Amino acid sequence: MAIRYEDVNEGVRRIFLSGRLDTAGSEQIAPEFAALTESAGRGVVVHLSDVKFLSSMGIRALIAGAKAQQAKGGRMVLHVAGNEVVARTLEATGIDELIPMFEDEEDAERALRS
Amino acid sequence: MPESVTPRRAELTIRADTWDARRAFAWLESAALAHRVPVEQIVRLDHCLDEALANVIKHGGPAALESPVQLQFDVRRSEGACTAELSVADAGTTFDPSTFTADKAPRPASLAAANPGGLGLVMIRNFSDDLSYCRSENRNHLTITVTWTEAP
Repeated sequence: MAIRYEDVNEGVRRIFLSGRLDTAGSEQIAPEFAALTESAGRGVVVHLSDVKFLSSMGIRALIAGAKAQQAKGGRMVLHVAGNEVVARTLEATGIDELIPMFEDEEDAERALRS
Repeated sequence: MPESVTPRRAELTIRADTWDARRAFAWLESAALAHRVPVEQIVRLDHCLDEALANVIKHGGPAALESPVQLQFDVRRSEGACTAELSVADAGTTFDPSTFTADKAPRPASLAAANPGGLGLVMIRNFSDDLSYCRSENRNHLTITVTWTEAP
């Protein structure tokens, strides 16, 4: 499980998650993920294309991050880029209806500006 | 024509902690691949196992944490109809996930209303084809079933 980020223009932060976001992996990255979403500018794109597995604990971290962004007037979106396993998990739990999910990175960042 | 059934069973005992759970996932993947279970079905079983073990660890209480968790994996094939059964036995508090249905966890209307609790059960329900449960000798026995078809 790995997490890294980069800040781009207009206050957008890209957070890249990779590996196995099972219960153990999610607990491992949750504190850093929370800190990164809380300290971001006005928008966060979470890149999930390299995530091999997404557990309910991982989803819990995503929801907490999205709420933190919303509380400060920002927004969080997800970039899945053809990752069918992760997309199916997000759809099965209805999280894609709460946190917008995009196949295309430009569409994801455009959504933050709209 | 007589039914052709090939039972195959693998077993593993682990501690009830999230890091030993990783060993269980490796065991499941290895056993499933050895028995030619399609990757898509392994992914489903993998999700169910992670959520089932997380429930044991987080909600099973002290008895669950102090006792080993026993896992069994069976694959059966009959004229192209295939069934994989993953059983999880733990000594935790009595809990029957098979009674959980989607209407017990309605989808939140907004992000603000979202409560992550119960998502694990939603995932087990969504990724399995059947769940069965019994309580025996002070242990929970949960059996998760996934099915698929193959060309005979």
